[in-house]
Amino acid sequence: MTGGFYLSRAASMARKEIRHILRDPFTLAWAVGLPIVMMLFFGYAIDFNVREVRLVAADRDHTRASRELLSLFGSSRFFRVQPLEAGRSAPADLVQEKTKGVLIVEPGFGRDLGAGRPVQVQLLLDGADNSTTGLIVSYFAGIQQLAWKRLALAVPRAPVALVTRYLFNPELNSHWFVVPGLAVVVMGILSIILTALTVAREWETGSMELLLSTPVRPLEIILGKLAPYLGLVFATVVFIYLMARLQFGVPFRGSHLTYLVGVILFLTLCLAQGLLISVLTRQQTVAVQVSFISGLLPTLLLSGFIFPIESMPGFFQGLTFILPPRWFVTVSRGLFLKGAGLAELALPLGMLTLLNLLMVGASLRAFKRDVEP
Amino acid sequence: MNPTLLGFVRKEFIQTLRDPRMRVLIFLAPILQLLLFGYAISTEVRNIRLAAQYAPQDVLARRLEERALRSGWFLPAAVRGGDPFAWIQAGQADAVFIAPARGLTQDVQRGGARVQVLVDATNVLRARAVERYLQAVLQEVLAEAFPGAQTAPPIAFDVRMLYNPAMDTAFFLVPGVMVMLLCIITVLLTSMSLVREKELGTFETLISAPVKNWEILLGKTLPFMLLSMVVVHLILLAAIVIFGLPMRGAYWKFLLAAFLFVCTTVSVGTLISTIARRQQQAMMATFLFLFPAIMLSGMMFPIENMPEGLILVAYLNPLKYMLTLLRNILLKGGDDWVFWTNLAALFLIALVAVGASFNRFRQTLN
Repeated sequence: MTGGFYLSRAASMARKEIRHILRDPFTLAWAVGLPIVMMLFFGYAIDFNVREVRLVAADRDHTRASRELLSLFGSSRFFRVQPLEAGRSAPADLVQEKTKGVLIVEPGFGRDLGAGRPVQVQLLLDGADNSTTGLIVSYFAGIQQLAWKRLALAVPRAPVALVTRYLFNPELNSHWFVVPGLAVVVMGILSIILTALTVAREWETGSMELLLSTPVRPLEIILGKLAPYLGLVFATVVFIYLMARLQFGVPFRGSHLTYLVGVILFLTLCLAQGLLISVLTRQQTVAVQVSFISGLLPTLLLSGFIFPIESMPGFFQGLTFILPPRWFVTVSRGLFLKGAGLAELALPLGMLTLLNLLMVGASLRAFKRDVEP
Repeated sequence: MNPTLLGFVRKEFIQTLRDPRMRVLIFLAPILQLLLFGYAISTEVRNIRLAAQYAPQDVLARRLEERALRSGWFLPAAVRGGDPFAWIQAGQADAVFIAPARGLTQDVQRGGARVQVLVDATNVLRARAVERYLQAVLQEVLAEAFPGAQTAPPIAFDVRMLYNPAMDTAFFLVPGVMVMLLCIITVLLTSMSLVREKELGTFETLISAPVKNWEILLGKTLPFMLLSMVVVHLILLAAIVIFGLPMRGAYWKFLLAAFLFVCTTVSVGTLISTIARRQQQAMMATFLFLFPAIMLSGMMFPIENMPEGLILVAYLNPLKYMLTLLRNILLKGGDDWVFWTNLAALFLIALVAVGASFNRFRQTLN
C-alpha cells in the first residue's frame, strides 16, 4: 500500500461518484429533488397561523348582541362563520366533517348580557383533529377579550392585567419557527440515507473489495465517495439559508461563523452515521431501513423541530440528549432568532462536538476493522 | 381457489417471512412507530420552564408563581443572575413573569396592576399556550384572593372537545400511523418483491411458464394485501388495548375502507416496479411517493392551512381519504355520508391505479 494521502486519488473517486449520481435517474431525483420537495412542504405546508378556519354558528338568540358576537368571529380573519342550516343538529356537522367547530348561542344571551348577568356561549370542537383544534383554542383568548370589550356593558375592570411580550418572534410567525429547524431535518435525512446507500452499494456489488485492492487508500475512498454528497448537502444548506432570509424573511441575529461551525459538526456527524450504518449492514435495503429508524424518525419527531421535547415522557426526553438533531435545532434557532452567542450555545455545541467525536471514531474504527483484516 | 394463484401466494409468503430483514420491516417497524407516535410525541404544550421576578414580601406574586407551578403546565426554571431577558436568551427559562416594581399586592389594592410576561416565541405553539395558561392561573388566584369581587367573565366560552375530550394525541396520531404502515408494507414490499424477480431473472421464467398475466400480478400482490390486512388488525388491537382508542363505527366499514385503500397502494407499488430496475431504485421511488403523500394526508399538519396549490394536490391523495375515513369510523362512529363519499373517492383512485398498473405491467411482460 502506498503511503500518504493523495488528494488526486480522492478526487477521482469523487468524479466516479458524481457519474454514478448523474447516471441513475432515481439517485439524481433523490439528491436534487428531495431537498426541494422537503423545503416546499415543510416551509409552506406547515403553518400554525390559523387562517379562515370554518366555524358553523347556531344563533338561537337572534338579538343584536348575538349577531354582533358572531360577526366578531367572522371579522377576525382567523375564522369564517357560516350559519347552521335549518333543521340540522350541531354535532351532525362535526360528524360529517363539514366543520371543525360549532358555536352555539342559546336564547336569552342578549337579554342576560343587557342585564349584566354572566352568560355562556358553547363551542363544540372536533377533538378527532388535534392539529386544527389546538390552533383554534390557541386563538380563543384573544376573541374572548375582544368580546368582553365590545359587548359586555359592565366589564369588571380586571385587577391584574397580563401584558405579554413575545421575544424573538413578536408576530408569532410560524415560518420563523419552522424554517430554521428545516435545515436540520433536510441535512439529517439526506446525508444519513445517501451516505448509507452509496457506501453499502459498493459492498453489495463487491466493488469495495476491488477498490481496496487498488493503491487507493481506504480514507481516500471514503472521502472521495462522500465528497459529492458533502457538496450537495452543503449546497442545500445554503439554499435553505437563502430561502429563509429572502423568501420567508427570517432574521439571522447570531454569528455566521458559529453557524458554519455547527453545520460542519452536524454534517460530519450525519455522514459518519451513514458510513457506520453501511459498514454494519453492507446491504442497501437494510441500510435504508436502519437509516430510517435511526435517522429519519428521530430527526423528524424527537428533535424538537415541531413536537416539543418538554412534553415527551421522561424516557424519550432522556433519549433526545444523545440525538444530534436535537442539539443542532437548538443551535440553529438560537442563532437565527435569539442572536445567541457562544456562551449561550456552549451546551449544544459541546454536545455536538462530543457526539461528533464518538460517531466519527466509531465509524472509522468499524470501517478500518472491516477493510484491514 | 385457482391452484396457480395459491402456489404463488404460498411461495411469496415463505419468501417474505423467512427473510429476517423483512420480518423486522413488517413486525418491528410498526411497533417502533406506534411507540413513537402514540407515546413519545404530543402536540400538547407542557413543562414550560417559568421564572418569576418579584419582591420577597409580595404575597400575591408568590401565590401566582406557586399556583402556576402546581398547575402542571409549568416547571420552575433554574436561572442564574442576569436579567429576565438574558434568562430567556440563554434558554434557562421559557417564560418569565415580572411583577410591578412596587409589588403586585400593593398595586392591586391601589386599583389595578400590570404584570409583564416575557415569552420565548421561537416556538410559536408554546408561546401561545403560555399566555393562555397564565391567564387561567391568574383568574384562579384572583378569585381566591378577592372572594367578594365579581371575577366571573361577562361572556364565558364553554369549550368542549367532542370525540376526544382529553385531547389525547394518540387518538389523533394512531390512525395516521395505521395509514402510514399500510402504505409502507404494500407499496414498498410489493414493488421490491416484483423488482427482485426482475433482478434475479426469475421473471423470465415466470413469463415462459403456463400462467396468465393476471395470475402473475395477482399472485405477486395478493400476499402483501393479506399481510397488510393482518398488520392493520394488529395495529387496531394495539390502538384499542394500549392507547384506549375507541372503535365507535361499524367494523365492516373499517374493513371495506382498508381493503379499497390497500388495492390502491398495491397498485402504486406495482407501478413503481414497472419503472424501477433494481430493488434500491424501488425503495427510492417509494420514498419519493410516500413523503409527499404522508405530508399531504393531514396526518400531522392540517391540510386546510396549506397553500392552495398543495390543497389541490391533496385531493388526489388516497392517504387523505383513508385518514378521513379512519378517524371518522374510529372516533366519530362512521357517518354514512362521509363514509360513502370518501369511499367513492378512494374507489375512483383505486380504479385508476389498478388499471394503470395492470396496463404497465402487461407492457413490461410482453
